[in-house]
Amino acid sequence: MNTPLIEVKGLHKSFVVKKGFLGESKYVRAVDGISFAIRKGETFSLVGESGCGKSTTGRLVTRLLKPNEGEVWFNGQNISAYNDNQMRPVRKEMQMVFQDPYASLNPRMKVKDIVSEPLLIHTKMSSRERDKFATELLEVVGLSSYHAERHAHEFSGGQRQRIGIARALSVRPSLIVADEPVSALDVSIQSQVLNLLQDLQEEYGLTYLFISHDLSVVEHISDRIGVMYLGALVETAGKDALYDRPLHPYTQALLSSVPVADPSQKKERIILKGDIPSPVNPPSGCRFHTRCPSCMDICKQIQPVFQEVEPDHRVACHLYDETIMGKDGVHIN
Amino acid sequence: MTANKLLEVDGLKTEFKRDGGSITAVDGVNFHINKGEVLGLVGESGCGKSVTSLSIMRLLKDTPGKISGGAVRFEGSDLTKLKESDMRRIRGKDMAMIFQEPMTSLNPVLRIGKQLEEPIRLHLGYNRKKAREHAIQTLKLVGIPRAEELVDDYPHQLSGGMRQRVMIAMAMSCHPKLIIADEPTTALDVTIQAQILDLMRRLKEEKDMGMLLITHDLGVVAEMCDRVVVMYAGRVVEEASVKDLFEQPQHPYTKGLIRSVPKLRQNVRRLESISGNVPDLSRMPAGCKFAPRCPFVMEKCLSAEPDLVAVEGRTDRKSRCWLTQIDERGGETVHEYSAD
Repeated sequence: MNTPLIEVKGLHKSFVVKKGFLGESKYVRAVDGISFAIRKGETFSLVGESGCGKSTTGRLVTRLLKPNEGEVWFNGQNISAYNDNQMRPVRKEMQMVFQDPYASLNPRMKVKDIVSEPLLIHTKMSSRERDKFATELLEVVGLSSYHAERHAHEFSGGQRQRIGIARALSVRPSLIVADEPVSALDVSIQSQVLNLLQDLQEEYGLTYLFISHDLSVVEHISDRIGVMYLGALVETAGKDALYDRPLHPYTQALLSSVPVADPSQKKERIILKGDIPSPVNPPSGCRFHTRCPSCMDICKQIQPVFQEVEPDHRVACHLYDETIMGKDGVHIN
Repeated sequence: MTANKLLEVDGLKTEFKRDGGSITAVDGVNFHINKGEVLGLVGESGCGKSVTSLSIMRLLKDTPGKISGGAVRFEGSDLTKLKESDMRRIRGKDMAMIFQEPMTSLNPVLRIGKQLEEPIRLHLGYNRKKAREHAIQTLKLVGIPRAEELVDDYPHQLSGGMRQRVMIAMAMSCHPKLIIADEPTTALDVTIQAQILDLMRRLKEEKDMGMLLITHDLGVVAEMCDRVVVMYAGRVVEEASVKDLFEQPQHPYTKGLIRSVPKLRQNVRRLESISGNVPDLSRMPAGCKFAPRCPFVMEKCLSAEPDLVAVEGRTDRKSRCWLTQIDERGGETVHEYSAD
């Protein structure tokens, strides 16, 4: 068994949405007690719909946000309580690639300066060394050295995302957190960037935390996947187990909702009723019970435990709880 | 066949003024929609699919864009020649539109009911009370619970999926013959998208409407459409039934597009991709617009642009590529390139 590069234990993060009079504040529980581990060299993906807390989790892992509760272990050290000085060497090891390549690159900077800025902070390289390194990096991500002197607005969306990836790579991190890195791109460009990410992973032995709402993209790129709903993980499993035998009713519905680009394939669709509830006021018991097609009485009262039901396949659902369902359990299809 | 055509777009050309010159966003687009049919209009950003829909609805008035050629025939009459007042009688009544982002297309300071009643009173001539009843009926039709209470809510009080249902209700309210839906589910989560697609399919069946569905999502196309038109750089590059398009795509761009999309449980290690980027409309390549990115590019492609012609003599199957045209004549090309 590989040692995990990242281990997240019982992470909580709330944001104040409404400061009330006399301290009656309202909170969104964006991330509410999640635990997972990412092994070295693998791609772990978080999927879920908008507002499920996947991006917040990415920011907590990279410590762009401080958790209210819980721990983040990186390479065997508990970084959750580190101050900025202690974090600096760790940040060199974890870099982020953002969704919007238009907003995450400074329009006033030349591409070579964007790409080499992390080197200015984390290394003692001279400016000539940095420039040389930046042009090398641009070639690694499929751009040319003559692009170095240009500004971000001169590039298309796909090229900008390559610049963002080059910047993340510059300090030779071991972990890259990619938050919806291909969502803003057209399909023909999206596949170029996905292929690049896979090539880089092989070449540099990178570990990815990949955050996306697109189940087809996630399946393509991941080794293991965690499905989130309203701030909590409902299921984690290896890619094949999750897509072939999804256990949680939400995962099943999510997978069946994806439109298939093949008109000859007619599939049974589970159409969920209603909307995603507000995370300010999450439902009691299991958060999914308001939309779950297999909801039982107990689901409305008691929150199911996130437990391993098969090797490396964890799920938070009463349907798989032996103490409730009896030893044989009920398997829904 | 002709009598069955609900909408016919014939050589549509739309230009935009920019920096003193003008660029052609839509260049000679041809297609038609039969009664009760869903036509998919597919392409990547900047291919002109949204401009095509705005041109059909004549909604370019507040933009630098202008229809500069061609015709849009709706039930036989050319919409491009209509007076604005006549167009207004058709828009929202016989032809209605659903937009991508329901939050920006609903008026934030008007109650849902007020916004729904407006087209109903205008087009159907109902009085206030009757229009409100009709609005509630339409909201129920699109699956909105507690429609009687919701008519008095403001758009911001609804979720994204509910807002899109309201948009659909508004489009449906005057019994249109044609719905133009521009990326209707792109802003929605997958489980909500499944609900909305299901609803649109059901309404189309019940009301026997024609639909122009504009999307970049090939999955949505495969599930919703009867026929498909693929656009690239302002032109139609391929037209086919949905089955033919996915089973035997003809144009290299369509092939590339279909192969670029990761599919569930397909297990390929590497995705195929189309190299390069979509060309800038102001700096278009000379010959075939896809030539710079095409894996099968030939010398001819760089100098002469192929026409959109029938594939294997079939009327329902068209492609704009020298390859299919050469194959047919055993090496001979159909169209000779003339010097200018």
